[in-house]
Amino acid sequence: MLEPLIKIAVLLGGLMTAAAYFVLLERWIAAWVQDRLGPNRVGVPLTRIRLFGLGQPMADGGKFILKEEFMPAHVDKRLFLLAPISILAAALAVFAVIPFGSVLPASVYTLFGQDAATVASTEGPVPLVVAPGVDVGLLYVFALSSIAVYGVIVGGWASNNKYSFLGGLRSSAQLISYELPLGLAILSVVLASGSMNLDEIVHRQADSGVWFIFTQPLGFVVFVIAAFAEAARLPFDLPECEQELIGGYHTEYTGMKLLLFLVAEFLHMITAAFLIVLLFLGGWHIWGLAGPDEQVTWVGAVGRLIVLHLKVTGVIVFFMVVRWSWPRFRFDQLMALAWKVMLPLGMINLVAVAIFEELSLALQSQLGGWTLAISLLGSWLVCLGAWFGVAYATPMIGDNRVRKDIHTYEVDPQI
Amino acid sequence: MDSAFYPAFLFVGCALGLACLMYGMGRVMGPRRAGRVKEMPYESGMDPINDARRRFDVRFHLVAIAFLLFDVELLFLYPWAVASRNPEGIDRAVAATQTAAGAMRGATDFSRLLVFGEVMVFIALLALGLVYAWRKGVFQWR
Repeated sequence: MLEPLIKIAVLLGGLMTAAAYFVLLERWIAAWVQDRLGPNRVGVPLTRIRLFGLGQPMADGGKFILKEEFMPAHVDKRLFLLAPISILAAALAVFAVIPFGSVLPASVYTLFGQDAATVASTEGPVPLVVAPGVDVGLLYVFALSSIAVYGVIVGGWASNNKYSFLGGLRSSAQLISYELPLGLAILSVVLASGSMNLDEIVHRQADSGVWFIFTQPLGFVVFVIAAFAEAARLPFDLPECEQELIGGYHTEYTGMKLLLFLVAEFLHMITAAFLIVLLFLGGWHIWGLAGPDEQVTWVGAVGRLIVLHLKVTGVIVFFMVVRWSWPRFRFDQLMALAWKVMLPLGMINLVAVAIFEELSLALQSQLGGWTLAISLLGSWLVCLGAWFGVAYATPMIGDNRVRKDIHTYEVDPQI
Repeated sequence: MDSAFYPAFLFVGCALGLACLMYGMGRVMGPRRAGRVKEMPYESGMDPINDARRRFDVRFHLVAIAFLLFDVELLFLYPWAVASRNPEGIDRAVAATQTAAGAMRGATDFSRLLVFGEVMVFIALLALGLVYAWRKGVFQWR
């Protein structure tokens, strides 16, 4: 009872703090990309100490709390409240199955007053995940991240505002469209690792020493793009688009309810970064830190923790740099990308991975170590081929100029 | 209640509690000054014309239906993906049935190939559905 509660407390506190400070990091990166200074004023209150603006998140949080709690007259009151609360709760609860480290040695129990000798004989290492035994981990992640779609569309609908409604519609279409390529990319990882438990998937990569980004480059590309879309980050931030929909589904939200939405958005990005790292970038693994969980020392455990979080931070910085360097898609381009490019690519990747897995299983006895080399080469060839195929085909798909051979102003008989 | 899911449910409860707590904090500490203009929908400073509850493009429904079909079909693939390379999976099941039936040994590879072929046919059907929807113009946005 105590162990999961401690982990939950650490995780909730860490996530909320991380979300607050990633906002600051994002503003710094925005300032860096745009060659300006960014927030550097707020430091210790009532003094002149600035601390590089590290007080900014606290000030923002305090400001949000003290804002007016306000319910517009025209909204559906229950749904209007339900949306932000459910979206934040779901965004947090995803982390129940996501490992935020590898393990801690069993001697950590002695900190809680247990006898060192009995600990050494009875307890295993402590897994750094809230619910380590959930074998359907990835399905759980999928299920809870689908609730985000509900949060957004319920918020947009309950606001009873045309901007919000459009934002909600767009985002529901976008999120469900990109869930398919996301699922296909995850499917090929599950196929290669034979488990849906995220910890097992990391172990599979750590044991072989070959991360899935090397064996499934195409799956990695598909997953990263789909994860950007699922987190509604900038090239895909059509649900919000400040310039067109003045905030989309959260136009009508103020104060704490708005904060819940914003934190949930940042949490989606953090989740996406964690998933990218765990599924494709080897999680806590770096060459030299492998080995069974039972033999992990304190140095190894802390090393794994640091490696994992460095990787996650790196991916998040990548998310942020992309946000400040790319323009937004148009909606038809977005849908065309999802259904006409990413979905076929996801299928190609799945079939390729299945064939390579089956072949390497069959040829393992005859070729030995060469099977890995062959499947690596093959998967990179598939990735390159897919790249050229898309580069060759997309101008035709994305071209939405009026075609002379169809009468676009009549009712389209195909619809 | 000694299930593997119990910490996960605990987490869901704590997350819900935290969200409600944050909302409650704002409610207690924030001021409240309502006003008629403030309660209007924000539509860039214009007086709103009509409600937002209006008809919208049927294409959103088409996308939703296409999503449902593909997503449910993808779900069928998950059990295969988990069982395919897992030592507890396909290979063991096939071996167990063969031992039970007293069938000839060494047929495992063939059964494995059969499963693989079936899944490939399934994915081909999925691709066919995608091509059909594409040709029907489901993904055509103007």
